[in-house]
Amino acid sequence: MFLRLVADSFSRRPRHKLLTGAALALGMAVATAALSVSLDVGDRLAHEFRSLGANLLVTPQADSLPLEIGGVDYRPVNAGAYLPESDLGKLKTIFWRNNIVGFAPILDVPIFVSRFDVLSEDISKIKPNASLIGTWSAHAVAVPDGNSYVTGIEKTNPWWQIKGNWFSESARECVVGANLARKQGVKVGESIEVYGFSQAGPVRVELRITGLLDSGGPEDDSIVAPLATAQWLAATSGEYRKLYVSALTKPEDEFGRRDPSTLAPADYDRWYCTPYISSIALQIGQVLPGADVRVIRRVADGEGAILTRVRTLLWLVTFASLLAAALAVGASSAASVIERRTEIGLMKALGAGSGMVGFLLAAEQLLLALVGGGLGYSLGILLARVVGQKIFGAAPAFSSLVLAVIVSLAAIVTLIGSAIPLRRASRYKPAPILRGE
Amino acid sequence: MPDRKMFWRIVRRLLAANRGRLLVILLALSAGAAVTAALLNLQVDAKRRLTTEFRAFGPNVFIAPRGDDGSATQPRTMPESVIQKVPLVNEGNQVVSTGWLYLIANAARQASKTGALAASVPVVVAGYTGGVQQEMLNSRPTAAHLLTDGLPYCDLGVKVASTLNVHERDKVTLRNGSIEEVCSVWYVASYGGQQDNQIFVHIETAQKLAQLPGKIGLVQVVTTGTPPSIERFIRDLQQRLPDSDVRPIRQFTEGEAKIYDRISGILSATVALVLVLTGLCVMAAMTNVAMERRNDVGLMKAIGGATRRVLRLFLAEAAILGLTGGILGAAIGILLSMWLGKAVFGVAAQPRLIVYPVAVALTIVVAIASAYPLRRLANIRPASVFRGEA
Repeated sequence: MFLRLVADSFSRRPRHKLLTGAALALGMAVATAALSVSLDVGDRLAHEFRSLGANLLVTPQADSLPLEIGGVDYRPVNAGAYLPESDLGKLKTIFWRNNIVGFAPILDVPIFVSRFDVLSEDISKIKPNASLIGTWSAHAVAVPDGNSYVTGIEKTNPWWQIKGNWFSESARECVVGANLARKQGVKVGESIEVYGFSQAGPVRVELRITGLLDSGGPEDDSIVAPLATAQWLAATSGEYRKLYVSALTKPEDEFGRRDPSTLAPADYDRWYCTPYISSIALQIGQVLPGADVRVIRRVADGEGAILTRVRTLLWLVTFASLLAAALAVGASSAASVIERRTEIGLMKALGAGSGMVGFLLAAEQLLLALVGGGLGYSLGILLARVVGQKIFGAAPAFSSLVLAVIVSLAAIVTLIGSAIPLRRASRYKPAPILRGE
Repeated sequence: MPDRKMFWRIVRRLLAANRGRLLVILLALSAGAAVTAALLNLQVDAKRRLTTEFRAFGPNVFIAPRGDDGSATQPRTMPESVIQKVPLVNEGNQVVSTGWLYLIANAARQASKTGALAASVPVVVAGYTGGVQQEMLNSRPTAAHLLTDGLPYCDLGVKVASTLNVHERDKVTLRNGSIEEVCSVWYVASYGGQQDNQIFVHIETAQKLAQLPGKIGLVQVVTTGTPPSIERFIRDLQQRLPDSDVRPIRQFTEGEAKIYDRISGILSATVALVLVLTGLCVMAAMTNVAMERRNDVGLMKAIGGATRRVLRLFLAEAAILGLTGGILGAAIGILLSMWLGKAVFGVAAQPRLIVYPVAVALTIVVAIASAYPLRRLANIRPASVFRGEA
């Protein structure tokens, strides 16, 4: 009998039920969209912040102080320490390996650069007039677990603009800074003579220019070439001087800023297993012996501050839209109960108790909430995809948490929304209602 | 005009007919208006606040001496007066500029009593103007920072400090050729960049050491504002300083522009979503009204009310509701946004007067548009209503 009453109520006034259901579905769709976008937005924004480039810098521990002014290192060639290139694959073995979005080793070499060959009698007189930055572009690094990982300077310095192409790792090619190219009068496709200063005397290499670099920084006066070329010019093998790492991190909170050596073991584990920039720095230090890993505070702190604020802001906004959705759905379910005063009066007149009437209506509303909530969820996911695609160029990931939240929110809100008029309905006296008063 | 008088009298009666329902609709409308006003206000404010937050990244423009002599061995310099040519304000946003002079000097720790020199190491000495170093370098402060011009205080990057084995309050001797300066270490900081390898001194100390009085090698400028505003600022500076090379620090200007676009996109999308929700909310309430008004409309029609006039009556009711709800809600919303701004950015969002009428107008539009369900009343046939048919 109970089920028959519920079924009857749906089939008798399909238009009304459709209307309430539609309001519910629409409200929940908007709530779903807001919730899934803001759940996703932290990760997306963290990715966006990687357009600021590397946030970790690795240098040799035993290094002498670099004498760098305006991007030019004034140290003699053989001063300072180096780190082995062969260790770099280990970066992709740390606990937060998937948070490392890119890394690139750098070896600066002072060079003499010219469009033309230097006559052999003048070769002893040449002095450095530029620097060559040896690095990776789309370099496949062998990871100890057998895979390989492609990374390079484009990942750590994404603001570098190349007119032309990047050099290929295996060829004698290079990219020339825009200023240097103008000074030397060279163009893409031409070749340039580069002299390095090893202890044995100048060494010459001819590099084909594949592109012009516009970085807006001191690199515009340098040549960027494969790391192997730089190593050959500096007469070192398999070494680099500094390493830029770009990692996705969680903004540091009070806990993240604590000194890990003072933490209790359980807290230390929690700290180690949270992608704070400092714990990633520690993990990198563990796999690269002899390296000093420092956080580039300018990038990391700025990112942390902005991410934290934007997240808080979005959560508040999401909360506001959930509230608005709840109000909309609650109001429409209240309306659907008020409509049925006569029916409630009749049921009571036929001997139904207040509890029975309430139970019946609640069951109806719940059924509606489940159907409407489910429908709204699918609609909302579509909406979230559109919004995500428009803002970030990628749809937010599916989250079952959102489904659970939305369906339970729909149920709770419809129940509360109908509970208020139901309370009033339970006080109705059947006689006046049936008389139409 | 008795006709108009009657019209308003009916509207008054309609409004007062069911106090409870009036309250529900007003509540829905003002809640919607509150959320809309809060978000609109916050959106305007948050976007502006965000550009201020980008200051955390430090300088975004630098000015270097122009020169294409090709020698990379001797850093070029320009007169200190260049700093005065940089405006202090850009389209209402503060501009902070600092001049720098870099040189390489031999540094050593000065033993406190004997004054004898420990082994000296070549170090990059960075001289800067003014007391804004904190902001320019974006260091993490480790101690209260006080800079008194004229007193030779210096700050050390961590790497320099550990190489020289000096701590705060120690004395460091800097020597370039025959010139020697002593400074007392104010604090040691980790910046994570090349600044860790530098000693920071007042510009005069650096100028004395380098024998370049009144010269600087670089100006760093921090400015805030939307990406196009920063672009205009840079173009303006390039015109003001034709002898210098004014360049954006692309790493930060480009990154900031991208992030700013994303965040303001999200905010706009959310505001749109909330407006849709508010509409839904009121529509639901109005559907309810439409249902209850069947009898009233039937009666009005039966005694000769034209459909247009009846509808006008209900639209007037909706507009009054929208106005009241909007005025109430928008005021609450603006207060709410000030509180939200304080919670998120630590500074109360400035109430913007333009938001108030916009939110009220939006609410009225939403209220009238949501009265759409009332259109169904036009199709009511009085006879069937009175027969009690549904």
